Formats: sequence, C-alpha cells, structure tokens
Amino acid sequence: MTELRWIWLIARKDLLLELRSGGRLLSMIAFVVLAGFLFAFALDQSRVAGRDVVASLTWLTILFASTAGAGRIFDSEEEDGAFRHILLTPVSRGAVFLGKASANLVLIWLVAALSFTSLNTFMGVRSPGSLAAHAAVLLPGTIGLAATGTFFGRMSRHSALGDTLLPVLTFPLLVPLVYFGATASARVFLELPWTEISGLVRLLWAFALGSIAIGAFLFRHVTDE
Amino acid sequence: MTLEGKGLVCSYGATRALDGVDVMAASREILAVVGPNGAGKTTLLKALSGERRPDGGRVLLDGSVVSGADNRWRARLGLVSHRTGLYRKLTVLENLHFFASLRGVPRTRTVLIDALETVGASDLAPARVEALSRGQRQRVALVRSLLHDPDVLFLDEPFTGLDPGGAAALEDALRSRRSAGRIVVLVTHDLPRGLTLADRVVVVRRGRKVFDGEAHRKGAGDLLRFFTAGPEEA
Repeated sequence: MTELRWIWLIARKDLLLELRSGGRLLSMIAFVVLAGFLFAFALDQSRVAGRDVVASLTWLTILFASTAGAGRIFDSEEEDGAFRHILLTPVSRGAVFLGKASANLVLIWLVAALSFTSLNTFMGVRSPGSLAAHAAVLLPGTIGLAATGTFFGRMSRHSALGDTLLPVLTFPLLVPLVYFGATASARVFLELPWTEISGLVRLLWAFALGSIAIGAFLFRHVTDE
Repeated sequence: MTLEGKGLVCSYGATRALDGVDVMAASREILAVVGPNGAGKTTLLKALSGERRPDGGRVLLDGSVVSGADNRWRARLGLVSHRTGLYRKLTVLENLHFFASLRGVPRTRTVLIDALETVGASDLAPARVEALSRGQRQRVALVRSLLHDPDVLFLDEPFTGLDPGGAAALEDALRSRRSAGRIVVLVTHDLPRGLTLADRVVVVRRGRKVFDGEAHRKGAGDLLRFFTAGPEEA
C-alpha cells in the first residue's frame, strides 16, 4: 500500500505541475497537430489511401511526441534541486520511477488520443474500425513508451549530450514496439478479426510489462551517485 | 547518538574528491565542515548522508553501517541545501504536504501552518514558491527538512544568498536542534559563521581533513591558516 501511495503522490504532483506550467504538454500537442497537418500534404492522397498509412503515421507521431516530452520529464525536479530531496526520503527508487512514468503515461494518452483524431481527420479516414480495439492496442503501447521514456529521460540527464542522446538511446529499443503497434493498428483499421490482432497485443503487453519491471529495477542506477 | 565516517574515499573520474577522511559528529553538537571551494566538503556531506556511495570507507550511525540504499536511514535524516528543493509552481502548503506525505508524517493544514510559524512564515502558506524571495524560500525549505524531526540534519551551504532575518531564523533552528539532542552537520565555506555556530570544526582541503577540533578552543587566526594553507604548510 505504501508503494502505491508513493506512486500516486509523485504522479499527482507531476500532473499538477504540468497543469500549472503546461509547457511539456503544449509542445507535445503542437507537435502532433503540426505533424498531422504536414503528413496530409506530404502524401499524395490521390495515390495513397489514408487508411493504409494512418496506423504507421499515428505510431510515429506518438513516438516522436513522447520522446520530445520525455526529455523534459525531470525539468521540474532539477529546477531547484527538488529531486535530491525526494531521493533522500524513504521512498523507494522503484516507486519514484513508477510515479514519474504514470504521470508521463497520462500525457502520452492525451497525445495518443489527439494524434489518432487529428491524423484520421487530416488523412480523410471515415471508418477507422473499432475504437475499443484501437484503445486495446494503444494501451500497452503507450505504457511501454512511458516507461522507456521515463527511464532514458533520466539517463540522458547525466550526459553532456542531453536531449540529443534520448532518441539515439530509445529509438533502437522501440523498434519492436512500433512494429507490433503499427501492424496491430493497421489490422484494426482493416477491420480484421481480433484473433489476428491479439497475438500482437500480447507482445505489446510483454514489452510494456518488461519495460516497467526493468525500469523500476534499474532506476536507482540512473539516480544515485 | 554518533555519526561516523571512516576512511571515506570518493573519486570523480581521476579526481579524488575525498581521500581517506575520518569524521565524527555526536548528539548535542553542531559540526561545521569548512574549507575553500572545491575542497570536498559537499562530497563529504553526500557520503555521510548516503547520497553518494563512497568508493572506500564506511558510514556508521551508533556503530552500525548505514547507506543511502537503506530507507530506514533516509527516514532519519534531513537536508537543507543552498538550492531549496521546492517546486516553484506549487504553493508553500502543497510543497510541505507533498514531502510530509512521502515521509508519512502528520500533514494536516494546522500541523503544517504551525510548523511554518516556527520560522515566522505561516503567512506564506497559500503563496506559490515562485512568488517568494530567496530568504522566504529557504525558511520554507528549513521547515520541510524538519517536518519529520530528523535525528541528523545536514546543511549544505544553507546561508548562501540568505537575508539577515532568514540567516537568524536558520541559526536559531540549528541551536534548537542541538538542544533537542540531534546531530547537525553544517557544510559551509563561511568560516566566521561556522566558528560562531559550531561546537566542533573540521577543515577539509583538497579532499583531506587538515583540522578537527573544538571550534572555541582553536583561535580563529589558526583556523584561518588551516583554511587557506595547504595541509603540508598547516
């Protein structure tokens, strides 16, 4: 119970700070909307059907937006050195990681919802398939993104390269997630039966749970001196 | 109650920030760790508090080894640093409530307001931290560090940029910790203030301890010589 309470306290604090500053969420939202707008012009929609590519574009947009946001997850902690004080409380490093990742996940959900809506609109997709099936695919995918982004967002803080390092570290690791996610979403758009999607969703859950477990276990190595 | 660092060694790459430092602090005592910039004072504090795992040596509380990985040890210590560690977009009360909740100590509005009143800052409770002066923020940071009544209070250059009122409130708080039988470890490059406040002074220079003794017995001039001169000259 104590661990859950710590996770809740840290996530709630992060979301409250985000609500009051808005910097990270606004930049992620702006990125999603502009990306959708540009994709609509970059693709010749007289030759490429929006429904054929919107799944891939959605996943790439969420990936890029969440990576851009991940670089700023620890901004509020570093501003006046608050993270040092959190680490000196009895809170476990795993709970700190899960609290930060949970807040990050809420922002990524907002980005995913906006990305899905705006891309379908810009690409002129009228029947995207079952929304529940899309949510079932996006849920484990976004959990994996949130956990990975939080862990490497912290790790990149220790590097002189800073945010530049973040995509270099995360993108190769996220190839399976993007592949499984985009393929599953494409099948939902094509309204294929769930049996042809569920295997990919199980792989996405495996990635998500693995990211959470590894991140929580290794987080002390990227926080402690 | 005693806090001991034995043979503490800390390195940053090829640079040895602490080179086999022995130090001890006891209850009812303010220990000042002084030295010029880059002497290794903050590294010593981090090694003692467990924020940094020493490359050599160990830290003992009442004879038992403690480390930063031990959450029971972290529950018994508090920290005030020159960076206040408060969230600017939260109010004073929200900051205190957050940290009190993490430590599992009473956090009702009345308790927190009473705690702020001890440093004359209860009127700041509804204000956002970003609207406060440096001195006001440091007072709030002091209250935050004392919410759980820590056995050991570490202070890392806490007087930096503090106004006279804030400095006086901080000095009072340190003396009251001493009276309450707690351990206070104060790291500062401000030798006169360290001498005024402390019962014992440890002078660190180039990662080594060059003086360890009672603050009031040693003449200020002699200490200043330890402070500024190399160990071999001192």
